[in-house]
Amino acid sequence: MRILIKLAWRNLFRNHRRTLIMLSAITVGVWAMIFMTAMTQGMVSQMVHDGISVIPGHVQARNPNYGDDPTVNNLLPVPDSGIAGRLEGRGFSSWSTRLSVPAVISSERESRGVTLLGIDPEREADFTFVDLETIDGRYLEGVSDQGVLIGAKLLERLKTRLGNRIVLMSQTPDNDIADRGFRIVGVFNAKVELWEETWVLTGKETLQTMLGVPDQVTEAIVFGDNYRQVDEVADSVGDVFDNSVSVQRWTELDRYLGTMLEVMDGFTLVWVVVIFLALSFGLVNTLVMAVFERVREIGLMLALGMRPSSILGQIVIESMLLLIIGLALGNVLAWLSVSAFPDGIDVSIVAKGMEMMGASSILMLDLRLQDVVLANSVVLILGFLASLSPAWRASRYDPIEAIHKVD
Amino acid sequence: MLRLSFICVLLFACWPLAGEEQASATDIVRAAVDHWRGISSYSEMTMVIHRPDWERSMSMQAWTKGDERSLVRVTEPRKDRGNATLTNDNEMWTFSPRINRVIKIPSSMMGQSWMGSDFSNKDVARADDIVDQYAHTLISTTERDELMVYEIESVPFEDAAVVWGREVLMIREDHVVLEHRFYDQDGALVKALTTLEIDDMGGRTVASRQRMQKTDEADEWTEISVQKVEYEVDVTDSLFTLSNLRNPRE
Repeated sequence: MRILIKLAWRNLFRNHRRTLIMLSAITVGVWAMIFMTAMTQGMVSQMVHDGISVIPGHVQARNPNYGDDPTVNNLLPVPDSGIAGRLEGRGFSSWSTRLSVPAVISSERESRGVTLLGIDPEREADFTFVDLETIDGRYLEGVSDQGVLIGAKLLERLKTRLGNRIVLMSQTPDNDIADRGFRIVGVFNAKVELWEETWVLTGKETLQTMLGVPDQVTEAIVFGDNYRQVDEVADSVGDVFDNSVSVQRWTELDRYLGTMLEVMDGFTLVWVVVIFLALSFGLVNTLVMAVFERVREIGLMLALGMRPSSILGQIVIESMLLLIIGLALGNVLAWLSVSAFPDGIDVSIVAKGMEMMGASSILMLDLRLQDVVLANSVVLILGFLASLSPAWRASRYDPIEAIHKVD
Repeated sequence: MLRLSFICVLLFACWPLAGEEQASATDIVRAAVDHWRGISSYSEMTMVIHRPDWERSMSMQAWTKGDERSLVRVTEPRKDRGNATLTNDNEMWTFSPRINRVIKIPSSMMGQSWMGSDFSNKDVARADDIVDQYAHTLISTTERDELMVYEIESVPFEDAAVVWGREVLMIREDHVVLEHRFYDQDGALVKALTTLEIDDMGGRTVASRQRMQKTDEADEWTEISVQKVEYEVDVTDSLFTLSNLRNPRE
């Protein structure tokens, strides 16, 4: 065995130029696998994170009909004041309740359809999609805040400004018009422009009074620790409520987002395999050439009594050595390039397109151990299989013919 | 115009002056609204919608009862005949014979244009909000054609469902609204309803031709001219029902 490794090692340097070329191909391939995976994973986890801040929540409890008809007619059949006692002290990382209804916002010149949210500002500060640092004016100050917080884009569309009054119109459960004037106390920025146009925030109690639904909400929002493991949270929330409430995970609330996470996880494997396929042609070609050059030598070794399996082993080991060195270099390179962008990559030049996908203009890189392991094991396993064929051919040579082969 | 001022002079002479001096701004506004509406009324009018590249006119009949109920039915042109709007309190329904459906105007559409005009559905359904959702102040009193004209500034209450920063009403002492201007919150004029002609109809002096015009678009306006008004007519409650909206019974 030792001698085989020694032989394989030395064989690598017999045509060092070819080895170097192959090595750089493997290195670049492995780098691309890992770096690109880190990039997609970073993008996905950010999209999921942002998406969850808008849904919001890892798990939501709401009226079973609310999904089909998200109006004030489908309130959570549990009074708001009763929810706090049920959710508090169950180890959720954060939770809140809110009233969310469709509404029309009008200024002197324009009116638009929006979703009006009556929120608990302190609780929502933990997970809100509102960029709290860049609010022009102020954030909401409590459940009975009489002002509204609107997005910068909506402000522009309505041709109004901070401090002005706007009118919000919605419906009561009896289908009567509920409307009143509100003063704009704050203008927020969000990662995605669409959100700035969609959401209008006010105090929860203010909205309850306006719609005539005191102590009622449309949803309870619960966050666990990790968006990949929400089953426990969902079960725990399910225990709190009875069957009149539907408890849903974020993957069910936003199917696009949930599906995307699954697709991207699968896509990582596809991506790694595709790169490897391209790589494997080079690898097999190199090995075939290496074997071809050494037909007489292999014949001689066979004639001297080396077993065919050792020939096979020798060639496989040669290819594995090549792959391992390439992997090591590729991994180091990928790690270096990921750490070169600790704050993410600024792709604001294509910000519009990214926004359409629901992603922001800074790409964070997310290098995950499991993706690195996946890339490395795919390369090793498939590399092993790919090198079997030339090695097998070499081990099957007839020694007499091989020795007499004229180059 | 001479004729008009003559009528005005006549009216001025007949109008009882007692107590008018003390009338507060709110009372002036309320009186103007009541004067225009009456306890009940029947009117026939024509609405002209003017745009830079087209113009159309519609004739309508309208009934009102109290502050809350009104019914408007289109009589001309032929293709729009039977289109009707019913308002009751803050609710509004329309009926179109073409689709043979009564549609309740949802809150989301209250801000939109009424039958393609420069009036919004809200202007039609909630015209009397001007009385109780605003703080009124008398800012000046001038004399025009020997009649006092009150200029009243109306500022909506903080939580009133009104987008305007303020509105200015020019109300003549005989309760005719001469002008109704809508300002945005930066003080810029957005649109104005101007009375172009005043006539004696149904025993009252009323604005017989009014034009609503947006300041930004010089060549777009809607004019309503009243041909006939009768006040305190006997209007039955059954007129303001959904079934009558669909199947007129007269």
